[in-house]
Amino acid sequence: MHKWLAGLLLMCLAVTAQASLQVVATTSAMGMLAQTVGGDAVTVRVLASPDRDAHYLQARPSMMAALRGADLVVAVGADLEVGWLPAAIQGAANPALNPGRPGYFEAAAQVALIDVGGPADRSLGDVHPAGNPHVNMDPVRMAEVAHALAERLSLLVPEDAARFRANAEAFADKVEARLPAWQARVSGAPGVVFYHKDADYLALRLGVPVLGYVEPVPGVPPTARHLRDLVRDLTGRDGIVIRAVHHAERGPRFVAQQLDWPLHALPLDPPLGADAEAYLALIDQWVEAMAGNAR
Amino acid sequence: MAMRRLPLPAALLLLTLSGVYAQEPPSGSTLAGAAMTPLPALGGERVSSGSAFNPDISVIIDTVYLNEFSGHVGTPAGFGGGHDHGHDHGHDHDHGHGLEEGFNFRSAELTFTASVDHYFDALLTLHLDEDHVEVEEAYITTRNLPAGLQIKAGKFLSDIGYINAQHTHDWAFVDRPLVNEYLFGDHGLQEKGVQLTWTPKTAFYSVFGLELLQGETTGIASYEGHGEGKPFSDKSGPRLITGFAKLAPDLGHNHAAQFGLSYGHARAFQLSDFNDHGDHSHRLSWDGNAWFAGVDAVYKYDAGRSFGHGDWVVQGEYYRREIDVDFRNNQRPPVSDIARQDGLYVQTVYGIAPRWQFGVRADALGMTNRNTLQWMGHGHQGYESFGTSYRYAANLTFRPTEFSLLRAQVNRTDFADEDDHDEDGWAVMLQFQVALGVHGAHRF
Repeated sequence: MHKWLAGLLLMCLAVTAQASLQVVATTSAMGMLAQTVGGDAVTVRVLASPDRDAHYLQARPSMMAALRGADLVVAVGADLEVGWLPAAIQGAANPALNPGRPGYFEAAAQVALIDVGGPADRSLGDVHPAGNPHVNMDPVRMAEVAHALAERLSLLVPEDAARFRANAEAFADKVEARLPAWQARVSGAPGVVFYHKDADYLALRLGVPVLGYVEPVPGVPPTARHLRDLVRDLTGRDGIVIRAVHHAERGPRFVAQQLDWPLHALPLDPPLGADAEAYLALIDQWVEAMAGNAR
Repeated sequence: MAMRRLPLPAALLLLTLSGVYAQEPPSGSTLAGAAMTPLPALGGERVSSGSAFNPDISVIIDTVYLNEFSGHVGTPAGFGGGHDHGHDHGHDHDHGHGLEEGFNFRSAELTFTASVDHYFDALLTLHLDEDHVEVEEAYITTRNLPAGLQIKAGKFLSDIGYINAQHTHDWAFVDRPLVNEYLFGDHGLQEKGVQLTWTPKTAFYSVFGLELLQGETTGIASYEGHGEGKPFSDKSGPRLITGFAKLAPDLGHNHAAQFGLSYGHARAFQLSDFNDHGDHSHRLSWDGNAWFAGVDAVYKYDAGRSFGHGDWVVQGEYYRREIDVDFRNNQRPPVSDIARQDGLYVQTVYGIAPRWQFGVRADALGMTNRNTLQWMGHGHQGYESFGTSYRYAANLTFRPTEFSLLRAQVNRTDFADEDDHDEDGWAVMLQFQVALGVHGAHRF
């Protein structure tokens, strides 16, 4: 009977054998990481356009088609994609990607998260009691994720394990090399007001104080009262307002004008098909914006 | 190893159920027995707020205020039978959605979902109103079938068309499209049975499905069976078989479209309307079989602005049904003929501002509308063609967050009646809906 099983196994493997490992990443930052670590052993497709809010996508049929043929899905995780990824995986009818299987990888599950264990109470907004999911904005955590991803890829393509590990190491080295310059650039930075808690990891990593958020609670657009309170609390201070490109401009602009602070609109994800350099350039942009006039 | 002691049939069954093993990556194959043992959960699999072992629970509470401020319409001509409210003839109170004038607690929908084990996921949706608990859906789906196959078994909303499988809270309008309500039933095509779908590995998305269903939906597979003086014979289930195909080209990040075809055949259609009291005494029955076919299309545009601002959804569906029956009116000899009816709706929703949506919908029912006369006193006993009924709706929806919505809708109803007159009416509906519990993922 074992021969039967082995035969069946071989047959199925032969049918599904492909030149490269098919990886589907939810966001372009995850796509960058999969490409960087996987090199030419992987083919990467990204589901979410980088100018979109990954909270609010819909499970589109094209996502299901991509997931149907995938060997590995690389998600940010911690419920960031909860509104669409489970439905897309369900619709793809590809059991290899079920959570718990090697084909399902969440970045947030590989690193320590901030804001873990907050109350699961939606009067506090669209909260993530599992922790802040936006780990892609911390290059150091991304380097940790790269190592974990290298291990996962090694499980799927054992013959390329050494290459994956070397690629992850190279990425971690690049991050490490830039870290001192980033820290130096923002030392003495006055602090930032973000629109959403989507860049907290970066601010925390570089020691830049987060002075407030434009939205009153996560997932709710700014109210006049909240903006007035924010401006009142911050009047007389120096700082910078940064919003992600997909956020509405009005609220952040109001705060920036009232306080006479600079306002920046930056993408949270690198362009589609970005390499590690493009991702690090994105972090450069954020660092430059957070630094303000600090010298 | 335990497998060694299993008899061959049992081992084969296990192998079938666990088809995924055959797809296992070659990873652990150097370890003895690795291919036969589920891989242990790899450290730090997934971070989620779903609670361990308890099913995920969500509750959706739906309240509606209705005011028919001008006119009142009954049942559209030609659709009196084959519909739950058919026996209300003469006093068509609630035309369809069961709403009364004034405040309505329409439902609380309670959904539990969980993985049963390595092989199955399960879902249970209870539909609670003030007096009743109904099982809206209760089914298991397979997790591990290979080759893009999935099996669903239990009681479920059929996946034919687009809107049929959606729950009330997924709709962009307060009420169900007429074609879905009158060609199928108050809950659409909702049946007990089993469904097999196949999602091939193609560059664009496609899914093909086959459903074997018990056949109880009043509009297409009404079934009464032998008994209580009914002129029917028993027919065992499954009595309804449906098939569907959905195709979706890849239109990039901003656009999405899906096109579907569906078909169904019921080998029994049995309906009776006996009234032995008073002046209106009659005994009517319909006995035969039925089929339906339909097309559906949906297009969505994602403008990429915040909170749905600038997004479009356009969708439409058309269905036709034919019921081939012997119609008996009291003791007269039966008349054999075919009732042919169809209907469609087209709707579009546009995000006029962040969190605000404006929608319009047009319903037409019975462009072809040949059916038996339902009520006596007409001096007929056969088939007749009726006029077309129309309904137009416009609404405005405000979604403070993903978890609540406020909706105002105006309906203009222009129904044909059986005497070839029009019945006109205007109604306004206000809806308030909230979702508690886990964050559900919406299908396309």
